[in-house]
Amino acid sequence: MKPLARRLTAATALLTALALASGCAKSEDEAGKPTSGAGSEGGGQVAAEPTKGAKTCTVGRYGGEKLDLSKATVGFSQSEKEANPFRIAETASIRAEAEKRGVKLLTANAQSQFSKQISDVQDLISKGADLLVIAPLNSDGWEPVLKQAASKNVPIVTVDRQINATACKDYVSFIGSDFVQQGRRAADQMIKATGGKGKVAILLGTPGNNVTTERTKGFRDRIKKKAPELDVVFQQTGEFAREKGQQVTEQLIQSKPDIDGIYAENDEMGLGAVNALKSAGRKAGDVKIVTVDGTRNAVQGVVDKWIHGVIESNPRFGPLAFSTLDDFTSGKKVGQSIVIKDGAYTPANAERDLSKAF
Amino acid sequence: MAEAVAGRIAPDRAAVHSWLQAYGVYVGVGVLLLFNVAFTDHFLSAENFRTQAVQVAPILIVALGMALAIGSEGIDLSVGSVMALSTSLVALYLGYGPWVALLATVLGGIAIGLVNGSLVAFVGVQPIVATLALMVGGRGLALVLVPQLEDVRDPGMRALGSGDLLGVPYPVLIALALVLLVGFAVRRTTFGRQLLAIGDSRPAARLAGLPVRRVLLCVYVASGALAAVAGFLATARLQASDPTSLGSLMELSAITAVVVGGTPLSGGRVRVGGTVAGAVLIQLLTATLIKHDLPPSWTQIAQAAVIVLAVYAARERGKR
Amino acid sequence: MPPTRPGAYALSTRGLTKRFPGVLALDRVDFGVRPGEVHALIGENGAGKSTLIKVLTGVYAPDEGEVLRGGGPVSFGTPLAAQRAGISTIYQEVNLVPLMSVARNLFLGREPRGRLGLIDFGRMHRDGERLLSDYGVRADVRRRLGELGVGAQQMVALARAVSVDARVVVMDEPTSSLEPREVETLFGVIRRLRDRGVAVVYVSHRLDELYAVCDTVTVLRDGRTVHTGPLEGLERLRLVSLMLGREIGEVRAEGTTKFGGDHEAASAEPVLHAEGLSVPHQLHGVSFTVRPGEVVGLGGLLGSGRTETVKAVAGAVPRSAGRVTVAGAPVRTGSPGAAIRAGVSLLPEDRKSEGIVPGLSVRENIALAVLPRLSRAGLVSEARIDSLVRTFMERLRIKASSPHQKAGELSGGNQQKVLLARWLAAEPRVLLLDEPTRGIDVGAKAEVQKLVDELAAEGLGVLLISSDLEELIEGSDRVVVLRDGAVVDELTGDDVTEDRLMEAIAGAAEEEPHSEAPAETPAAVPMGDSAPGSAREGAPHG
Repeated sequence: MKPLARRLTAATALLTALALASGCAKSEDEAGKPTSGAGSEGGGQVAAEPTKGAKTCTVGRYGGEKLDLSKATVGFSQSEKEANPFRIAETASIRAEAEKRGVKLLTANAQSQFSKQISDVQDLISKGADLLVIAPLNSDGWEPVLKQAASKNVPIVTVDRQINATACKDYVSFIGSDFVQQGRRAADQMIKATGGKGKVAILLGTPGNNVTTERTKGFRDRIKKKAPELDVVFQQTGEFAREKGQQVTEQLIQSKPDIDGIYAENDEMGLGAVNALKSAGRKAGDVKIVTVDGTRNAVQGVVDKWIHGVIESNPRFGPLAFSTLDDFTSGKKVGQSIVIKDGAYTPANAERDLSKAF
Repeated sequence: MAEAVAGRIAPDRAAVHSWLQAYGVYVGVGVLLLFNVAFTDHFLSAENFRTQAVQVAPILIVALGMALAIGSEGIDLSVGSVMALSTSLVALYLGYGPWVALLATVLGGIAIGLVNGSLVAFVGVQPIVATLALMVGGRGLALVLVPQLEDVRDPGMRALGSGDLLGVPYPVLIALALVLLVGFAVRRTTFGRQLLAIGDSRPAARLAGLPVRRVLLCVYVASGALAAVAGFLATARLQASDPTSLGSLMELSAITAVVVGGTPLSGGRVRVGGTVAGAVLIQLLTATLIKHDLPPSWTQIAQAAVIVLAVYAARERGKR
Repeated sequence: MPPTRPGAYALSTRGLTKRFPGVLALDRVDFGVRPGEVHALIGENGAGKSTLIKVLTGVYAPDEGEVLRGGGPVSFGTPLAAQRAGISTIYQEVNLVPLMSVARNLFLGREPRGRLGLIDFGRMHRDGERLLSDYGVRADVRRRLGELGVGAQQMVALARAVSVDARVVVMDEPTSSLEPREVETLFGVIRRLRDRGVAVVYVSHRLDELYAVCDTVTVLRDGRTVHTGPLEGLERLRLVSLMLGREIGEVRAEGTTKFGGDHEAASAEPVLHAEGLSVPHQLHGVSFTVRPGEVVGLGGLLGSGRTETVKAVAGAVPRSAGRVTVAGAPVRTGSPGAAIRAGVSLLPEDRKSEGIVPGLSVRENIALAVLPRLSRAGLVSEARIDSLVRTFMERLRIKASSPHQKAGELSGGNQQKVLLARWLAAEPRVLLLDEPTRGIDVGAKAEVQKLVDELAAEGLGVLLISSDLEELIEGSDRVVVLRDGAVVDELTGDDVTEDRLMEAIAGAAEEEPHSEAPAETPAAVPMGDSAPGSAREGAPHG
């Protein structure tokens, strides 16, 4: 078997060469591609109309000093690897806004490890961050960091996920989407698309995730209330992944070929469902698909008529986060809980707004 | 008195368990088929069987490599990460055409296999630890190469993922070819015989002058290459390179297929036919639960139950 | 011969039948052992001894018939149930926890408790020492069991078994890894047990031992009881003929071993040269030669380095110094494959874990070492394997239901023949045999001995290790005697006698640190690690 050993050695050498070459291949690709998802391009967040009597916060109440944001250092702690469009757009938007305002930005990424995020934040504080923007991985376990931040008078704004602590005391405010509301709006789209009658399926996100629970609750409640003739006949997890969404949809359309609509709790699963329908020989628009997120691929799906509607979950926290910090540090009132106004992509606006998708 | 009864029925029970370990998986597949024919709408259709076959193909291909690793009294936990790495390599090399991409993925799988195999065969690291390292590191590497999901648009890839030849989808054809290849290797080659001897009794194999290290190296290289092919096919079908989630938990599905198929974890035996049936059983089980819209957690519980049953049958056999 | 007074038996069977696929292992067996009796259970391999023991101790359930304990029928679902009924078993391999102390092992599961329910180590160590000294065993009960020699471990197992109030003790070849002095100690223990009214079932292949310690004998053959009666007055030859089912004249004509006379090899050039073999802590410059057609014995006590020597020659243990040449060509160290290709084959001492691949068939086991030769481009030629296997199964008279039967299912003797076939198929120039006849039945033993003779006559060089002095003396043309990992003597020509060998070995015994044991009866077993390799050689599992 000596020849085999030689062949293996040759293969390794070849592979090494290929790996080295891959660097070049990659950068050429990058150069050719339009840089996607930069925050300045559009789609920056707008806060939803504050409901009356919403709680607010000021620097005086929080305990701290006014400062000039443009001369401050802001630390940003990201929770997960920038491996999906949402995180990529989120980080890019924060960076872009910091650059636009000329603020010095320090960033860290916890790579989905909570212990790393805690030390990341401590690190940012010790490196001299005057203000913190945190995209928390978990809701709990923040006490030690919050104490440390308070002792150094570092105001904190959390984005996209809330933490279990007292607003305007432990942190200033939370900026994020209302996932239940996203579910409701998806239901509205589904009702419109199906005429409020028929059978629909839900592709759930990862089980046990609060996004999954809330997007499901909003959708089901609204269907129940507004379109009792629309039956949810199927509800299986696609784990927020395209492959799983595709596999589950394949099973679905075999056993329930007469399904009228599919609500995918994120774009990826929705795109998986499109794959499944395509390879089963279905036509665009046969089954009405409504998804949540607003990635470029999904919005393109709306343009191509495969997806009926996309509810936006805007990741571009940069402008809103910085304007909130600006208001706060200059002594103005800011909301303790700022719910952002998410858009929607429908056949009517998809083509026009495609550039806004992330 | 209870002991007396237990004592008397013991031999029959042992025989039943030993039979179950070897053939129970076929019974399981039969039962699930019958159940679905009776209670699942639109089950008896060519389209449905096609769907199941296409979905099971990557699991089966990975399980073949896993069967070799388990047969050598080892295990390969890195297969899911190898799939992630290969989906990344597809994105990187598809520019040169699908065949170059396939070559790159297989070479990537072989490279991972060489690392695993070297750790096991030459450094003497336990397989579960050696392959755990690349299970964690492999996906990391994949994400470095391709940080986010990238669409893969190539007519050749699309044909491989969803096209067919004489009515049989390409992924299924490729999986069947690999089943025959691995079956042949196990049965008819010196490699296969030596692998089984090494898995059954490493000291005896060593004293008999068998090239233990080389065989172990080849086992992990084969497992890596097979997982890479599975990753390539999954990418072709998804028409996207998704290193974040492609192949996640695949190692568990593959181990389940192998063990349920009657290959003992203690090594020395590789049941290729049983592995095919084991993979089909998992697929049918998942499909049944999804089609009947049972809560997703049930799928996990049902899979766990099947594993427990299989291991139980194996235990009874081991006692003899 | 059904037991006439069942009540008198401590443990007995009536019409016991046990079938395995294709085999009737036990055929209506009646067997009984009385309190205060040492009952020998003998028979060739495959006669049904092991099966009977396994039924008696709850490992197997009988298909028909019953087991009676104290007069009433019992059925043990598990070995634990049998143990609870007062039946203890001492196996060849020690079933204890090597990482725990001797005392912990003695009291495992029934440790003496102090206040707060904690283990009272002081009491446990005192009780342990007393228990062991009751049986004439001196040992530091605080040491880990695994540090002791196999013989000492066996004594601990025995002490544990009898101290859990066993009324019946079953011993399955308990002396197979003991040194002669340890055997004496064991016999002392057995006699004490007998005096206390314990019923002992004693299984062994060594006739000397049976006559030394047993009162009664039951002979099994082909799953049936062929003889039961007192051992006293029963001639050895008669016993052998009962076991073999052959007439006395036949047996006598063939002698006790199957070895023929000396071989004419003195003039030939040596085929195997071993020079200055060293393995750290185990071998210190061992040199010897083997000529074609010559059987060279390797003598010495357990732990003298015999097994290490053959392993170092065969590449199974890397050597730190020294060289091995076969017909002038040097053999690389650390690679059994290289040694085999150079023409050196080793039949290992530990048949079960280093020899047989139990899950593979007889056929695959025989072909294992020569697969590359029987293959073309990596593809196995079934036809060539078949013809090779057929040749060797016929020549060595291997008894298996078919070449496809699993090797693990064969009797010990047949497994050994399969291994011999594997090594002969490799066409060696030198065959290293480490205890080739240990644990196999009389018939197979004779066949193996005859085969070794034939092979030597055909010009093969043979190196033979045997703890059976008679076998070593009759089988060898020359004996190299080892002590503490070095060659201390070489017996040639007329000096190859048991007396001379004993003297050569005894020379070693005098120098051992623990030999001045106090003159207690029975003699105390030294349980120190006097010989560095002793535990290793005796316990390949360790």
